Amino acid sequence: MVALFIILVLSPLAGLCLDLLYDFLSGTLDLSVLTFFSPRRLWLLFASIGLAATVAGSGILVGVLVVSLLWRIAKKGLVIVLLTVLALAAIPPYIHALTWSSLLGYLTGFLPGLTMTGWGISYWVELMALIPLATLLVWIAFASVDPALVEAGRVFRPDMDAFLHIHLPLAAPALGASFGFLFLLCCSDYSIPSLFGADVYALEIFAQFSASGSSALAFLYALPLMVVMIAVIIASRSGIRTLAQTPDWLSDRKGTAPLFPWPFILLQVLACGVVLFQILVLVSGLLLTTGTMSTLTRSVEMAQGELVYSLLVAAGVVIVSLPLALAAAHELKQPGLRGGISWGLVLLPLAMPASLTGIGLILFWNTPGMAVIYPDLLMPVLAGVARFAPFAAIILFVQLRFIDPVLFDAAAVFSRSLLKTWVRVRLPLYVPGLLVAAGILAALTLAELGATLVVAPPGYGTITLRIYNYLHYGSAGEVAGLCLMITILCLIVGVCTVVAVTWLYRDGREKRPEGDPVHDRS
Amino acid sequence: MNRNTRVTIFAGLLILVLLVTGLLVTFPAVPADIPKKTVVVYTSVDQIYSEPVFHDFENETGIRVLAVYDVEATKTTGLVNRLIAEKNRPRADVFWSGEFGQTILLKNESVLTAYSSPSAADIPPQFLDEDDYWTGFGGRARVFIVNTDRLTPDQYPESIYDLLSARYAGNTVGIAYPMFGTTATHAAALYSYLGTDEARGFFTNISNREVRVVDGNSVVRDLVVDGQLAFGLTDTDDACGAVEKGAHVAIIVPDQGEGRMGTLVIPNTVALIAGAPHPDEAKAFIDYVLDKKTEDAMVNSGWIQIPSRDVPTKTACMNITGIKAMNISYQEVYTGIPATQKDLIEIFIR
Repeated sequence: MVALFIILVLSPLAGLCLDLLYDFLSGTLDLSVLTFFSPRRLWLLFASIGLAATVAGSGILVGVLVVSLLWRIAKKGLVIVLLTVLALAAIPPYIHALTWSSLLGYLTGFLPGLTMTGWGISYWVELMALIPLATLLVWIAFASVDPALVEAGRVFRPDMDAFLHIHLPLAAPALGASFGFLFLLCCSDYSIPSLFGADVYALEIFAQFSASGSSALAFLYALPLMVVMIAVIIASRSGIRTLAQTPDWLSDRKGTAPLFPWPFILLQVLACGVVLFQILVLVSGLLLTTGTMSTLTRSVEMAQGELVYSLLVAAGVVIVSLPLALAAAHELKQPGLRGGISWGLVLLPLAMPASLTGIGLILFWNTPGMAVIYPDLLMPVLAGVARFAPFAAIILFVQLRFIDPVLFDAAAVFSRSLLKTWVRVRLPLYVPGLLVAAGILAALTLAELGATLVVAPPGYGTITLRIYNYLHYGSAGEVAGLCLMITILCLIVGVCTVVAVTWLYRDGREKRPEGDPVHDRS
Repeated sequence: MNRNTRVTIFAGLLILVLLVTGLLVTFPAVPADIPKKTVVVYTSVDQIYSEPVFHDFENETGIRVLAVYDVEATKTTGLVNRLIAEKNRPRADVFWSGEFGQTILLKNESVLTAYSSPSAADIPPQFLDEDDYWTGFGGRARVFIVNTDRLTPDQYPESIYDLLSARYAGNTVGIAYPMFGTTATHAAALYSYLGTDEARGFFTNISNREVRVVDGNSVVRDLVVDGQLAFGLTDTDDACGAVEKGAHVAIIVPDQGEGRMGTLVIPNTVALIAGAPHPDEAKAFIDYVLDKKTEDAMVNSGWIQIPSRDVPTKTACMNITGIKAMNISYQEVYTGIPATQKDLIEIFIR
């Protein structure tokens, strides 16, 4: 399973490396054009890193403030918030940006001095596009903290001290990982900055790719950004590995509500206002642009095939990724050199630009030896696995660290069959992590464009491809209608999953033994 | 029902769902009446325009079209690079592009093979490749789209040099990144027509006066329609789409006066892929697309504004009579594209 995971996630990189080697040996690679460190390119690199770091940092900050306020709301409320942000995360970031562009265009009518271009506006829109995902990731980070430790601190110190000196430091490793994740997404995106006139290094890669038509050269041009991304990923890795342990991600946070000083509460309310405003801008923008119910139904009717295929691809990515990622997550737990190599192999693909992932997949699978088994219809699934399975592996690694290995040992001793051990012990313990990973995998796959475009089988297209096609045609109503449909579908799938899990674990919670030190920690 | 039973049912259902999904992804439902003959077409023409052509072809010939579409957002790194990557084992039969630069690139990369279609007999020679590797037909032109609420007719731009005019603030006019798509082709045509120094000076001035440079021609159109820009340079299909939707815009063909250079007309191109898996079906499709009747249908649908032949349907969104086209060679323009793009990357991405 681990070998298969490595093959699938590293196949694009292998394809590109082979292409690079072939071009180099055949003398067709013009290395003289490579000038990585011209002042212009260095500036682009630093500007891109600065933008990505600022957006990721701000996203984490806003997320921390929002989640710290929502932390003690009832579980039903929390589930609604999380499902909403997950559904919004499945809408392509470019749609968030276009909604903001329309709003800002409208505002310039009242505020003529309002600037519509530059780094400031790019930063804001990029942040707004990533804020649903940032909120979700920060919630995961906070959920990784054992609440008993925080409650113990609250007995002796004010709530603000407990938050700053216990809760936040314990969540810091996972927050660091979340920062790394947001940094990667922001660093590889050129669509939003270029819409607002800010040039980033990712655009430079695509421009060089377009000018040279050589994937090998584009890969070389991408290397500086990949090195930065890999460095950030490695830094995040060390954070993830030191995560504290906690028994349950979805448990109710009981106890008295914390008392924070009013300036902090003001910041929390402001942050919630920002997130709510983003949700309002996006949803109202989509609803207004869709206009009528007939536009919504027409756009869905026209894209029925793409809708079904997208859902199948998303399901396929989840199905293929989860078992492989689970196996990889076990490898990530290994100490020493083996663990280090595993981390390197898992994290390396995350630094690949999307379209290069697609080209790399073709170069790998369309070679003479592999062409016989070229998985035409499964290529978008493989692209999704290559791009996003490492995220699932990391999430499941975090989940594994939450599980007491003694439970597995006990199951191995007392269980009569391997199947029963899996169904009754392992699977229930893995379920929270599997659900979170499945949700994030599905959302990212639905919004994926760069790699899918390059590998989509003839005759099939995804909903994101259709959305971008409509965008070019100027069918704003149809685009908005399809985005609304994605949001509604994600919400339906999320609600079904929550209902299924609640049904699954119903009496497990009802019959919780009183005074059980493990279960009463929260 | 105890928890163990529920977990077992849940796991069983999950496995069932996984199996069904796996089967559906691998063997998606195909209607029983689908014919056995197929042709795989990679196209950069908008799905909204190309899909009806595919359907008509399927109805007329019984050959099923399996299409792969490009999108503007991927900056032409999509289909063309996919075709190059697939060169050793082609999966496509036909490449149908909305412009000519990428098609000539594919010819030079040995991705294409020669085919002289009988349907191209009445197409003027300037649209044809001398080695028959590709065939051009009707297309689009580069035009200004003007917001009529922001500019009165006497303020409308007349020349691409109006992008540099002090009459308009830099941030009220816009173009797409000139390194990608048809704007890249237009830029290469300007380099070919004006010479490198003058063209470089033109684009440097555009950059220096902070003209709004955005993500694509459709974004230029949307910003003009929104009123965020007074006018912008785009393609006729984008501009006509806005006119047909009733937006407050006008279309101006630049540089049409006496002694002016004219505007760039960009033909569609269609080509047969070397080693195509379905060569006969591919030739049938190319013949169909190049047919005068199909060109007329595409004028009617709004994809073609500048037909290559005299077709019955006339473009409704603008007056195309006597449009003055830039006097350039497509091959020369293509040859200049890589150097132009490198130059423009230095000017615009910084």
